[in-house]
Amino acid sequence: MKPLKTKKKNTILFSYLWSMPSLLLICLIVIFPIIYTGYISLTNMNVYHWFTYDLIGLKNYREALLVFDSGFIPALLLTILWTVVNMVLQLVIAYVLASLLNTKGLRLRNLYRTLLVFPWAMPGYVSILLWKTGMFNSQFGLLNQWMEKLGFSPIKWLAGDGIAFICCTVVNLWLALPFMITIIDGALQSVDQSFYESALLDGAGWIERTVYITIPSIRPIIAPSVIITIFTTFKQFDVIYLMTQQAGAKTGAHIHTILTYAYENAFITNNYGYSSAVSIVIFVILIIFSYVINRKPKEEV
Amino acid sequence: MKRIIASLLSIVMLMGLLCSCGGKSQGLTEEERNIIVIWHDKEEAVAEALLTELQNSLPEVDIRLEYKSNLTEALKMVGNDPKAAPDLYFFAHDKIGVYAEMGILEPITELIAKEKLENACVGITLDAASYKGEIYQLPIYFETLLFMYNRLYMADEKVPETTEELYAYMEEKTHGGHYGFVEQHSTAYYSAGWIHGFGGYIMNGEGKPGLNMPETMAAMEYHKKFVELMPGESEYATVNTLFQEGKAHSTIGGPWLVSASRAAGMDLGIAPMPVIDESGIPVSPYMGVQGVQVLKYAAENKTDTVKKVLDALMQPEVGIVLAKVSGCAPAVKACYEAEEVISDDVVMAMRETAENTIPMPNCPEMDIMWTVAADMLVNINMSGQDVKESCEAAQKKAEELIDKMQ
Repeated sequence: MKPLKTKKKNTILFSYLWSMPSLLLICLIVIFPIIYTGYISLTNMNVYHWFTYDLIGLKNYREALLVFDSGFIPALLLTILWTVVNMVLQLVIAYVLASLLNTKGLRLRNLYRTLLVFPWAMPGYVSILLWKTGMFNSQFGLLNQWMEKLGFSPIKWLAGDGIAFICCTVVNLWLALPFMITIIDGALQSVDQSFYESALLDGAGWIERTVYITIPSIRPIIAPSVIITIFTTFKQFDVIYLMTQQAGAKTGAHIHTILTYAYENAFITNNYGYSSAVSIVIFVILIIFSYVINRKPKEEV
Repeated sequence: MKRIIASLLSIVMLMGLLCSCGGKSQGLTEEERNIIVIWHDKEEAVAEALLTELQNSLPEVDIRLEYKSNLTEALKMVGNDPKAAPDLYFFAHDKIGVYAEMGILEPITELIAKEKLENACVGITLDAASYKGEIYQLPIYFETLLFMYNRLYMADEKVPETTEELYAYMEEKTHGGHYGFVEQHSTAYYSAGWIHGFGGYIMNGEGKPGLNMPETMAAMEYHKKFVELMPGESEYATVNTLFQEGKAHSTIGGPWLVSASRAAGMDLGIAPMPVIDESGIPVSPYMGVQGVQVLKYAAENKTDTVKKVLDALMQPEVGIVLAKVSGCAPAVKACYEAEEVISDDVVMAMRETAENTIPMPNCPEMDIMWTVAADMLVNINMSGQDVKESCEAAQKKAEELIDKMQ
């Protein structure tokens, strides 16, 4: 009995030793920054005490909670709206496109696949600014050139809140769809064809096949990717910031997600203690959010 | 056997990871003392000219000029780390306050005698380079915004002398995709000229914001009618492209626009800023001094090499060459004896205009003002919000954020 126990113990010990390098790396690049941010949030590290900061307790948190003032709630609601709208559109469009890619007898399938994945190959920063100046610019943008040709008066695409929100959504979809299409495309190919054959024999239509076979079969495969995408959408900063609020190029729209709001109200102060406290509070919000989202799939499993 | 090899490998990897995090021994070798790393964010032509000049006058020093697109943020991160920080950096004077407060900058007077600096440099540049009584920058050249026009549309005698004349011109010419005058109307750096023209300010030298001053509000109210005759977008690319493509007859722009417009074949004219009728003061934009700052570690450990580099940078030849490639006014007085500087209309216009402008504040609080003032301008000019309310709200926000800096 005893040697078996030691052997088991040894196995555990060795498995820890073998995974130690990667665990250490994860600690260094994931866990350590969070802990360090937490530590900085308890200090008075700012321009005036850059290298000579002291622990000052929870003072920064008292002030950080003040950021979550009257402007924060609308920003939080907008972030949720942004996440929901983007996720619904992404899933629907990606599903339709992926289904089309899987149509039987489709020619040049691989060419379409490559084209659809293309936006992924470009750095986000470049794509966003290309959209901003190439499409939406009121003087030179393609959209206004078309409007002019069709005899309409030019539109300031990014100046109003509603219209800017739609434009940002379009750009975000353009950036995010390749990932979703790839995942759903792969998931669709893994569905056992015999289900469809027997469904056809039973006289099931396209809608029935989609609702009762395709969606239940691909759900477990795409679920992790959907959760990851929900997070990246929720904490999206660059699309909205670069499109409407970039320094020196503000467009007049006031759409703020919690991150752009925190940026304008905390991070520009060069007060790292205070900014870290704001980050930690946002981190906690994200953790709560992830808990709420993750609970459901677990129950189902 | 497999297990032993695997264990050994993981131990080696662990050691490797830990070792790479380890520190370096202190003290510099003779060779290391001879390397000077300079960060900058300038156009390639300026950087190349600077490097050539330095290499010619100091062949024995290993000068490494490194381009950093986000220089200011990078310096905040590594300014205190001798392994990652540069020895010198070449940038505008407006960040001096931040880095001086952080404690990473050496006063330049520790390396060059103060009298020597005062004798050599144009006075206004040294004022700009001073923070809390210490000079932190060796000024190389200074720049400001200029009134530029396209002679194809605007004849020399038609150039508006006052803002009302400018407005009349805009009303007459702005139609059919053409604009009489364009500027980055909702950017703090450009709007500051109008605010100063009314006697207001975004932030004064003591770090006090002035967004709700009656003068600032008057400027905002007056400026609105000009904005109505300009395109909705006010960012750099749109405004400059409109001017360079001949769709805008005149603009207010920096020296960088001069060479680009001339290269595009435009017959470019430069005129003094129009005088604001109501106040009798011309539109007075900010002035920026581009120069070299020395980091503390380099000043203490590479003193002799740094001194040599600074001396070389003070030679009039450097100022002349850089003035020519950048279109800016040299900070060293002796440069103005050279024929090639006197005969350059852009450089001379720059010097004339710049002497009547206001140096950008260099206190750390200014970092906040760029964003807050831009928000206020967007609210007034682009979202059509009430001037008084927007100014009061912006002032309140600026004060709150300044409070949070501490």
